[in-house]
Amino acid sequence: MVLDQLASGLVFSSIIVLGSIGLSLVYSIANFANFAHGDTMTIGAYTSLVTFGAIGGLGGAVLGIPIGFFVAIVAGIAMAALVAVVTEKLVYDGMELDSIGLLIASIGLAFIYRAVVQIGFGAQSTRYGIQSLRPIEWLVPYGVRITLHDVAIFVSAVVLVSGLHLLLQYSDLGRKMRAMADNPDLARVSGIRTDRVKLWTWVIGAGLAGAGGAFLGLYSQLTPRMGFNLLLLIFAAVILGGIGSVYGAMLGGFLIGMINQLTPLLSNVGIPIGIEYADAIAFVIMVVVLLFRPNGIAGEAS
Amino acid sequence: MSLVEDPKGYWTDLTVAEKGVSGAVVGFALLLVFSLVTGGLAPTYFLYLVGLAGMYALLSLGLNSQWGFSGLINFSVAAFFGIGAYGTALASASSSPLPYDLAPVVGLLAALVLAALLALFIGIPTLRLRADYLAIASIGLAEVVRLIVLNQDNWTNGSEGVRGIPGFFDGWPVLGTLPETMPTLVFGSGPGATVLNTPFWQALLNVGLVLALVGVSYLVLRRAHRSPWGRVLRTIRSDEDLARALGKNTYSFKMQSFVLGSLIMALAGVFYAHLNLYVSPGDLDPITTFYVWVAVILGGSGSNRGALFGGVVIVAIREGTRFLNGFEFIPFAAAPLRLLLIGVIIVLLMRFRPQGVLPPQRELIWPKTVDEAPEQLDSGVRETKAGER
Repeated sequence: MVLDQLASGLVFSSIIVLGSIGLSLVYSIANFANFAHGDTMTIGAYTSLVTFGAIGGLGGAVLGIPIGFFVAIVAGIAMAALVAVVTEKLVYDGMELDSIGLLIASIGLAFIYRAVVQIGFGAQSTRYGIQSLRPIEWLVPYGVRITLHDVAIFVSAVVLVSGLHLLLQYSDLGRKMRAMADNPDLARVSGIRTDRVKLWTWVIGAGLAGAGGAFLGLYSQLTPRMGFNLLLLIFAAVILGGIGSVYGAMLGGFLIGMINQLTPLLSNVGIPIGIEYADAIAFVIMVVVLLFRPNGIAGEAS
Repeated sequence: MSLVEDPKGYWTDLTVAEKGVSGAVVGFALLLVFSLVTGGLAPTYFLYLVGLAGMYALLSLGLNSQWGFSGLINFSVAAFFGIGAYGTALASASSSPLPYDLAPVVGLLAALVLAALLALFIGIPTLRLRADYLAIASIGLAEVVRLIVLNQDNWTNGSEGVRGIPGFFDGWPVLGTLPETMPTLVFGSGPGATVLNTPFWQALLNVGLVLALVGVSYLVLRRAHRSPWGRVLRTIRSDEDLARALGKNTYSFKMQSFVLGSLIMALAGVFYAHLNLYVSPGDLDPITTFYVWVAVILGGSGSNRGALFGGVVIVAIREGTRFLNGFEFIPFAAAPLRLLLIGVIIVLLMRFRPQGVLPPQRELIWPKTVDEAPEQLDSGVRETKAGER
């Protein structure tokens, strides 16, 4: 029972982490809370759906997932990044607003994204054309019921997150991004082209969100509201980890995903809070963190 | 300058935006009268729309007294609306899981008490937070409220919702039976005739109720806005440190404005429950919060008449898109179209006119007064009007 929830917690965490990294990056570099981030995930998911439907499986399969679906995920990442860049150029770039104004504008963009998806695909839920699998045989005796697809989600997330780590630590762009997150003005006078770094931030953040959305569709199903419904959990993860810290967002995403899936254990130890309040627990944690450690558990105490 | 004494001077004194809005309001009213007369719009349905517009106007006034006056980013409007609706519904409905069956007036009081408690519950932890944290925290707590309403079946009937809510005036001496006692009037003849029967009088009574609520709230807020209390709030909005340096307990002032706004939102919820006679957890969906935000930003943050205007526009969008649904050549449902329209309005407003259509005019305290002291020291009133730079 506990092992099973830990395993599904790992899988759900993977998706939350992919979402929260992008939100945290944009929060620190563009300096506002992007409410359209969840719907960027939806865009990634639906682009994968369309691409996979168009190209099919392409022969072989890895971890129970057709090769074609991996191509579809890349398409989802690319589309999410493209939409984010176009939005930055068309909308945010020309606005002379404080972070609150940008926050409100991002709500409008969230509605536009979701409306476009809903116009194209209807409000009902749908699934990828991938056969769902039975739980892995040799794990079932231990009470763990996860499928190869779940393993694939976890492995892909680890690969993406490791790639981001390498990029941030060792590439030129990564150093510039960290410099800009620390102090944008200082980065600018040091000769960093902050506009360009900002665009790359959008590409990376939205791209990871697109991947997260594609995996979320595989994990459960696709609906136009899927990203928006996850957005507050992602905010909780970002705040728990500390806004602006990428590694904090990873830790926060991991913890929020775990807590979310471990909620049923509460009734085992006699606390009468059911699974239906799993999200509510995360939101309360978020408010408590904001109150007592606004820099997050990874940041310094203020 | 008064409209009655000097209509011409009054007109020339208006800003371009004010003239435009006046023109649009008159045009819209004429359109409504035209469709009423020609029978395109049933009178009972029209009154229902007026009721809804009043409800959104109330919600906008409430949010305006939080965001417009003191700059609080409250994203929990839906929770206060819902707690108002559920408060009165649970106290008065026949199918309520709580065994009270009280009069709607008692339900109104119960809803207000509940809303005040919820305002304290949300406000005490969040009002000290930075502005964007307040936004996230308040929407999170609003979701907590929604989840409780959805899942605590023993108190709220859960996803079934609460049915059998009485009309607000049921059991009142004269007003309670007025719709039944009024005569049925028929204008015209045949199938196209306009019939004014009991539902019509009932709707008229509801409109009277909401107009009274809106009127009282508007007067109270206008008075509060001009009072020393309102000036402190606007100072907090433009520069909280300044207000604190002047010896004001800004937390306490913010809490007062938060509770005041929340009570007005709860009033809107009470009215909705007795208009719709049914409430469900869907009424606490965050989309309501964002509708009200659009209304306030569209009207002009800080401006009460702007909030009224925004409330009417929101109902026009909501019901207008439903109307579009009837056309065959639009190949998709109204819901995403409404969402798209709301989104586009938000983005265009923030891009081109962040101060809204009817920003407050001739104010003493304005965000920029703090940074840029006026050239003429004898007057702190802005020479240029907002939106006319």
